[in-house]
Amino acid sequence: MNTPTPGATSAHAAALTAEYAAIWAYGPIGVRLTGPDQEAARDAEAAHRRRRDDLVLHLTDAGDSLPADQAGYALPFPVTDEASALRLAVDVEERTAGFWQAAVAATNGAERERALAALVDCAVRATRWRRTAGNIPLTTPFPGRTA
Amino acid sequence: MVLTWTVMGKTTQPDPLPDGTMRHSRRRVLRVGALLTLGGAVPSLTGCDLFNQEPPPDPLAPMVDEALVLAAAYRDAATTHPTLAGRLTPITEAHAAHAAELARITKVALPSATPTSSTPANSDATLTGLRERERAAGESATRACLAAPAERAALLASIAAARASHLEALQ
Repeated sequence: MNTPTPGATSAHAAALTAEYAAIWAYGPIGVRLTGPDQEAARDAEAAHRRRRDDLVLHLTDAGDSLPADQAGYALPFPVTDEASALRLAVDVEERTAGFWQAAVAATNGAERERALAALVDCAVRATRWRRTAGNIPLTTPFPGRTA
Repeated sequence: MVLTWTVMGKTTQPDPLPDGTMRHSRRRVLRVGALLTLGGAVPSLTGCDLFNQEPPPDPLAPMVDEALVLAAAYRDAATTHPTLAGRLTPITEAHAAHAAELARITKVALPSATPTSSTPANSDATLTGLRERERAAGESATRACLAAPAERAALLASIAAARASHLEALQ
């Protein structure tokens, strides 16, 4: 059931660049948060690091070339306070979910299972950040789908 | 068919008895009977006109109903417990949107009648019940996603993720 699907490699490479960017973004997010929120940011960053490491191993094992991590990433808006940090955290999880959703369609078997688990994690974390930010509603009907 | 006939040829061989006479053992006779029944069914299936059969039901068709039942459960819960409506209404709408998308890709017509649901009078019990439903529905979407062809997998993944996030929103 684990036959390579055309497009799986590029979908994984794209998911990896999304994970690089997510890890980077949690830096500016974390410094604007305090207490349990900062701890949640640290946990989220660690989860994205695990996904990144997993993808690096997976792509390396398959003999595929790795996309390069950047020294920095352009933020979609300036992060200057707690509110903008929480908004970026929601944004990061929503965007990363989109890459994993694309990876679901490009894979099957164990690879699809991994991509689905990553998408679910992003959707759940986005919901938690919306709750922290006081956003209503807490959920979106189609996580990963780009509007 | 070939296999059936070969086996039948073998099993119809009579057993030699100690006195030298031949007879069919009871078990073999029963087995032949079963094979004949099976063998009889095969030509009637292959003999059908190729285009005269009902297409097999879409494996995702039951998920349309599942999403509609979920939407009805949340709608009823929000009516019974207006204090929960703020949390439950967006989830109701998400389940209804899932039903519409699933109906679209499976080409199943959405039923005009909405399923009925009953909600416990206690709001904690209501939330517990909804969490249970959501957990089971998340598992069913996950299973469907892992078994689906590529063109359906993305939607099913999104539905599985939505259901997981509903569960989080109900915590």
